[in-house]
Amino acid sequence: MRALAKPFRIDVEAVSSFLPSRALRGWHGILLLALFLASLAIATAHAQSGAAAGPPSPLATLVEWIPFILRGFLLNLGMSFLAMAIATVLGIGLGLLQLSRSRFLSLPAWLVTHLFRNSPWLVILFVVMLLVPFELQLPGGGTFIMSDWLKATFAFSLPVMANVSEIVRGAIVSIPKGQWESAESLAFTHGQTLRWIILPQCVKRAIPPWMNWYALLTMATPMASILGVREAVGNGQAAMEAAGARPELLVPFYLFLLLLFFAYIYPISIWTRMIERKYAVDS
Amino acid sequence: MNSIATVMRFPALVAVMGATLLAAAAPAQAEGGRLEEILERGTLRVGVLGAFKPWSFPSPDGSQQGIEVDLAQSVADTLGVKLEPVVVTSANRMQFLQQGKIDAIIGGMYDTAERRQIIGIIEPAYWTSGPTLMAKEGAVASWDDLKGKPVCAKQGANYNKQVQQDYGPRLVAFAGNTEGKAALRAGKCVAWLYDDASIMADLASGEWDGYTMPVSVLFNNPWASAVPIEELDKPWGVFMTGMAYKWQADGKLVELEKKWEVKPSDWIAEQHKRLEWDESYLKGQ
Repeated sequence: MRALAKPFRIDVEAVSSFLPSRALRGWHGILLLALFLASLAIATAHAQSGAAAGPPSPLATLVEWIPFILRGFLLNLGMSFLAMAIATVLGIGLGLLQLSRSRFLSLPAWLVTHLFRNSPWLVILFVVMLLVPFELQLPGGGTFIMSDWLKATFAFSLPVMANVSEIVRGAIVSIPKGQWESAESLAFTHGQTLRWIILPQCVKRAIPPWMNWYALLTMATPMASILGVREAVGNGQAAMEAAGARPELLVPFYLFLLLLFFAYIYPISIWTRMIERKYAVDS
Repeated sequence: MNSIATVMRFPALVAVMGATLLAAAAPAQAEGGRLEEILERGTLRVGVLGAFKPWSFPSPDGSQQGIEVDLAQSVADTLGVKLEPVVVTSANRMQFLQQGKIDAIIGGMYDTAERRQIIGIIEPAYWTSGPTLMAKEGAVASWDDLKGKPVCAKQGANYNKQVQQDYGPRLVAFAGNTEGKAALRAGKCVAWLYDDASIMADLASGEWDGYTMPVSVLFNNPWASAVPIEELDKPWGVFMTGMAYKWQADGKLVELEKKWEVKPSDWIAEQHKRLEWDESYLKGQ
């Protein structure tokens, strides 16, 4: 109500530093839940007003298919964990490379970082799907089958890698230069300074944005369904098709998927916000 | 910032990144006949589509079911091995077959001249269908009516391009059938462009009162199963040819039409009649 009294003004700072973790509030969850239940009620009523001996209600259909959708969701989780692990390892390497004094190292690292940071994820996904072969020849002589979900995981890890690279670079740069000089005067080598003095401080600063990117990554994983990966959304679509492709299924099924992701990601957002607040004071 | 110089003490990271980029493809090596391989393995891997009712679609427990899964099961039963349906998409099924990930495709695939260059198409075909339209009664009278109008279609359907070129509709392609048909119902497009076999199943379901199939199919294209191209004239290909012949000749397909409540197709009835061996000469003996 307070907002009504004020003249309308766009809060530039709030918009430019938009983070899901800051934007989401508890009432969003309650609203979504209410919407979901309302839509189910409407869809159920709609189905029951039709032929009595007709197909089962959308709610009953959804309940029947929930285990199938949840099994798909496990793949979303698996993809998000693996992609985040790859992105973190490669991103830290890339971020450190960006700060290398040698132009031969820093320039390519800068290029890779900015290429993947500024490309649509869907385009990266398609490129990786088309470029990465089905089978990889391992140095040991064996072959490794790249299934579609693995390829998609790798594709998702690239943009996150680039963003982790920027997080790492930013965190290192944000450490006052005096610390490097002090460490040097204490006879630390560059490697030792980085490892024992600089990086431990970076971890604290980098964790909130890192978790934020994890949330974004998890939300992006359903894109893989476009390429036939059988994750939650793909399974949801297959379930709707198997249940007769009735249009009244669309709303409850997609709302269920929405809630599924929300229930997983929202706690992460809250946690991120807590960590952010905790470290905001002493930096 | 020049103090951060020895960052390059991370050769392992560089190696990982390099190896990822340099990893090369290696074609699968098939030694010995595929038929022998399947028998030794004890499982038959058949590529089927993921959500294509009633040919192949999931059951709530996650396993695949449908006409094509039943056909694949009949192959496995004949060989005395276990069936492992592998869910494929129309974009990856031929690659899967070439890479040896699956032994055969029974996955709603049109038999085309282009595909015959790459994979071993089995004759005879087991089904036939063609692209047609589902629309509200009176909305569309002929293919030519589509010019400039929005038409909902399925992403990746190989006739989309032909329809676009010949009749000039504004195609709106959807990833899922449910979404495409919901858009038709919501009035976002004048018609749903899809396979007549599937549209007939929708119309028969009673969910689409007031909708019709106003135009005849653009063409009729048989659906064929397929084996790797090098296996076509080897035991595995010849075995599958025998299976495909038996599906037609001994009425398996007619039986499956009934089981899955598909509108009986004239083509299947005709094929059954044509390929059924006339045993009348035995009676006189």
